[in-house]
Amino acid sequence: MNRWAAALRLTGVGFFIGICIVGGTFVGLWLDDKFNTEPLFMIGGLLLGLVVAVYGVYQMIRPLMNNRKNKENG
Amino acid sequence: MTGPKKRGCLGCSFPVLIIVGVIVIALVVLGFITGAIGQNMLSGLDLPEWLIASSPQPHLPAPELFHVFGFPITNTMLAGWITVIVLVVFSFVVTRRMQIVPRRLQMLFESALGWIYDVCNSIAGEVNGRRFFPVVCTIFLFVLFNAWLSLIPGFGSIELVKNEPIPEDAQIMPSKEDPAHLVALVDDREYEIATVDGQDTIVVEEELIRGSNTDVNTPLAIALVSFVFVIFYGLKNARMDFVRQYVNFGPLFRSIGRIFKGKFDFMGIFEGAIQVFVGGLEFLSLLIRNVSFTFRLFGNMTAGEILLLIAAFLLPFVMPFPFYILELLIGLVQALIFSLLTLVFVTMAVTPAHGAESH
Repeated sequence: MNRWAAALRLTGVGFFIGICIVGGTFVGLWLDDKFNTEPLFMIGGLLLGLVVAVYGVYQMIRPLMNNRKNKENG
Repeated sequence: MTGPKKRGCLGCSFPVLIIVGVIVIALVVLGFITGAIGQNMLSGLDLPEWLIASSPQPHLPAPELFHVFGFPITNTMLAGWITVIVLVVFSFVVTRRMQIVPRRLQMLFESALGWIYDVCNSIAGEVNGRRFFPVVCTIFLFVLFNAWLSLIPGFGSIELVKNEPIPEDAQIMPSKEDPAHLVALVDDREYEIATVDGQDTIVVEEELIRGSNTDVNTPLAIALVSFVFVIFYGLKNARMDFVRQYVNFGPLFRSIGRIFKGKFDFMGIFEGAIQVFVGGLEFLSLLIRNVSFTFRLFGNMTAGEILLLIAAFLLPFVMPFPFYILELLIGLVQALIFSLLTLVFVTMAVTPAHGAESH
């Protein structure tokens, strides 16, 4: 049943990636609008969103990878 | 001793099969003639208006039906209340005369709830599973009954008709379907115009009840209940460990403090900053969970409702049938996902930091 729990936790991954990237870009656009620095903050926000998304997904799937390693090692 | 072998197929005798077959074929033909597909192909047919499937006009915001003490009451709220009443009556009927050897209804509920209880125990452990069961099971039943009750005929097909004064931003224009006829266009919806007491009004037809899950506010409310539930138990059980998962300035401040003692620990400061970043990330994912909870349920249920409407419009009687079965399944799956995810997150919150990852 714990496999279930692990799988269920991953159901939010799609939303997480989407919101991180879109959110980062929108915050960047807003900052650009405020300081007139197009497109500096937009690109920065997009990259930050991407980094956060990748790292977040890595954090989410790490427990699963650990489980697998433990099993392989016996 | 065996009786004479009956001739038949699929467990039915031939006369019954023939009757069922004729009814199905009649429905297919009727559905084809009255639906949009048949109407386009056989445009010469002049059917009475009540026999023609009207085009669906789904719109997302739940319309306000009436006001109680200044509070707007929407059709999805009514559906939610009906769900609550049905659940209360069901529980009352099932538990009124409990028997050690259960009757059919009691057995059905006992086995269903027993299964959820076992799942709670296996995910959260014996002690915690018992504590979390009421909330998890309530979420499951509420979402499930919301989804299943909205499949009952009458949900979405009973309409409340009322006359309202024409809004100022309305455009009076010829109807798309019948250009000789004038309609009022408000927010991309066409309304009939009728004169009541010498005053022009628009005729507003609203569904009296609509599945509660198809209003974004209901999934959001359940998601917030689940959010508060997780935070409450996280704070109660893991206390500072729970807070430290999200706000972790300790290592950073300790490293900065060492600078005043004359030790410049660059790696310590760097790792401390990363800890703060990871905490922020965890907090972000805690908040995003609400969004994903809300939109997963809302999206699935609304899409299902629209799918049924379109199927009933294209080929009435026949095409909605497989989708009805699909919707029954989707309702169950969404209820399971919503309740079990709440259970998984609350279990993660009460176990000490990264405890779930170490086993």
